[in-house]
Amino acid sequence: MIKIVKRDQPSRAIFFFTPVLAIFLTLVAGGLIFFILGFKPFEALKFFFIVPIADKYGFSELLLKATPLCLIAIGLSFCFKSNNWNIGAEGQLTFGAIVSGGVALLFYEQEGFYILPIVILAGAIGGMLYASIPAILKTYFNTNEILVSLMLVYVSKLILDYLVVGPWSNPEGFNFPETRQFSDSAKLPLLFEGLRIHAGIFLALSAVVISWFVFYKTYLGFQMKVSGFSLKTAKYAGYKGKKMIILVFLISGACAGLAGVGEITGPIGQLHREISPDYGFTAIIVAFLGRLHPVGIIFASLVVAITYLGAETAQIFMQIPKYTGQVFQGMILFFLLASDYLLFFKIKFIGSKK
Amino acid sequence: MNTNLKISNVTKIYPGCVANDNVSLEFNSGKIYALLGENGAGKSTLVKILSGVIIPDEGKIYLNENNLKLNSPSDAKKNDIGMVFQHFNLFETLSVFENLIIDSDEQRESLREKIDTIMKKYNFSIDLDIPVLNLSAGQKQKVEIIRCLIRSPKVLIMDEPTSVLTEQETSELFLSLKKFSEEGILIIYITHKLKEVMQLCDEVAVMRRGKLVSVSEIKNENIESLANKMVGQNLKTIKKKKTKTSSDQLIKIMNLNFTSEDPFETNLMDINFSVNRGECLGIAGISGNGQSELFQVLSGEIISEKNSIEFNNNYIGDLNPQERREYLMAFSPEDRLEQAAIPQMKIFENVALNNFKSSNFFNNGLINENKIKEHSKKIISDFNVNTDNIELKSQFLSGGNLQKLIIGRELITSPNLLICFNPTWGLDVGAINYIHETLIKINEQNKSIILISTDTDELLKLSDKISVIHKGKLSKIMNAEEVTPEKLGILMGGAN
Repeated sequence: MIKIVKRDQPSRAIFFFTPVLAIFLTLVAGGLIFFILGFKPFEALKFFFIVPIADKYGFSELLLKATPLCLIAIGLSFCFKSNNWNIGAEGQLTFGAIVSGGVALLFYEQEGFYILPIVILAGAIGGMLYASIPAILKTYFNTNEILVSLMLVYVSKLILDYLVVGPWSNPEGFNFPETRQFSDSAKLPLLFEGLRIHAGIFLALSAVVISWFVFYKTYLGFQMKVSGFSLKTAKYAGYKGKKMIILVFLISGACAGLAGVGEITGPIGQLHREISPDYGFTAIIVAFLGRLHPVGIIFASLVVAITYLGAETAQIFMQIPKYTGQVFQGMILFFLLASDYLLFFKIKFIGSKK
Repeated sequence: MNTNLKISNVTKIYPGCVANDNVSLEFNSGKIYALLGENGAGKSTLVKILSGVIIPDEGKIYLNENNLKLNSPSDAKKNDIGMVFQHFNLFETLSVFENLIIDSDEQRESLREKIDTIMKKYNFSIDLDIPVLNLSAGQKQKVEIIRCLIRSPKVLIMDEPTSVLTEQETSELFLSLKKFSEEGILIIYITHKLKEVMQLCDEVAVMRRGKLVSVSEIKNENIESLANKMVGQNLKTIKKKKTKTSSDQLIKIMNLNFTSEDPFETNLMDINFSVNRGECLGIAGISGNGQSELFQVLSGEIISEKNSIEFNNNYIGDLNPQERREYLMAFSPEDRLEQAAIPQMKIFENVALNNFKSSNFFNNGLINENKIKEHSKKIISDFNVNTDNIELKSQFLSGGNLQKLIIGRELITSPNLLICFNPTWGLDVGAINYIHETLIKINEQNKSIILISTDTDELLKLSDKISVIHKGKLSKIMNAEEVTPEKLGILMGGAN
């Protein structure tokens, strides 16, 4: 007989084991789906998860996709750790990209070492501004940040749409919905000749280090944690609880904005409609898969980045629709939530005693 | 018809704890039974077994000689066992009637008629068409009771029903319960409040650590004998030594007003009082008369005019709680789980909530974990918190241990004034005694206490002076010796 027993306290081992279990189950289920669709499961999984990163170029692409995911997820973990449900990183990414793209366009004919830092800063500020909207509405008007931040995603996408079609569209662009190419001074330097991986990865890695330090070593991190659990407790302890909420949203927005900057000043080099394949939403999965822990998030962003690449490879080589990538992302989250059941319950196998 | 409910050799084992150890009990209708025990004694497990929420590992339940198979709450309902839980299971935004019809299979009209008859019979007056969120706690409880009565139960189980009720609501509830009992419903009343048992019940079963300790008639018991059975040792009765009252004023509140934007809060009007060193000022009142607001104003969660609070010759009305702590004030709020501590955080992290400069818990913005842990260990041993693991999440502490931790944390600064709000709310006798002893000790060290409490006995036991809060106004301050429970009751009701 199988019996389910409540755990007294989730062990640390199981805390990091369940994400691995979730990934394993995703692979099994994915293989099953491929089998049902009439593909050879092992071959399909190989094209999905191994072929894309088998060479130097593939590995660079993996890091390229993992960079924004990691950066955004780190930012989100500030929010999620303190129980603020910022679902709108995609919007903050877009708005950050709009602001930094606007600044980059201002300098489009100029060269100079000072341009890139200004562009990057503008992106961070844009993301912060956009994240401050749900934060301020939450703290002063008691609105639900999930709804507000989510709806603002669509607002920012429409703003971007308007700009690239209208006022900011390339005068020599034959009415394509895109802006001019940014000047080289407004672009992140590439790390290797012939590969697309760019200096944005250092932004992500510094975010990892800084966030780890803030979470676990500082008074600020402690106050964030307390404010997240209970505003009443934060008030009683004498913390400025509302300021804390705004602060985590600002950090989260800055990270998402920086991810936006990384995309438009990295591989894209201009503004157009499709600057992000929903990195802002996928990063939510990354944040949870990584257990809101900076190191966990690095691994999670690599795993999830593969699903982006694998989907493309599988489409090219096996004619499997590339939306399978989203199916895999969904399954990871699904299995993670399901296996988190094991955090609080354990399964006991009992012989036929009675 | 007589109802006979028999629990036979029921055992329920959880990992690391035997919640019910071979418990056998028999109940007959026409009497009100008390099931008495401290928190964690196993009484809740037993009633959850009776209501089908928990399935026992061993043992049987008989209702009128029939062996009941209670595998789910609906089995209990089918077998005419009704249960009113401590925490209400109502949908706040639905109307009373909608809440009642949800788990009933009757037609709207016939159900409404039935409810009307029940309400008339027991003198309940509740508007069926307003949302439940507009009801008082007492009314919500009546809705739960009606929900049971609709099914004409043979057995009605009440789980700590008075913890959220005012004194008047409590006496109304007792009247109803007596009436139900006269009509042949078997009543089982779960509580850890001894006074209620003496007031209401005919027979009492006492549980301790999962075992049934005794079954006896109320007329053969008194509060002391029950308390000793419940705790399993002879409790010392605590008596506060009358100390010479000093005339050295520590805190003075002058013309303090608070007007809230929240319609569910109480406005404070023209509060004036002072407390001398070594004194305990008790503030009595029925809950919801401004106690919570007064606590927040005193702690600094609500900031007031600078001059309205004078502490130790400083005006501190505009300081937040952390700043007030630097002046050696300490605060123990009513809500242990949602305010005073964070259950999901570890014990030592909860200790760090009381951050004051000289503690060095945080240096230059960095956490000084060693210092916090060192302090935590000291609190745990000094205040008898029943664990040696400061890495344990606080949710695994019992209410009593958590309160000891909170009081301990607040007292590490050796504050000149401790402000506490219902410090023993929901605790068992042993823990209450400990907290009371601690508070008396504070006074003996010439430190002061403001004790806001809805427990009149507690106030009379600990206070040197007593005032009553009613609708946000304080009565005149009386010497504790002059005060009787009756006098307090009258003031709490708003009369002069």
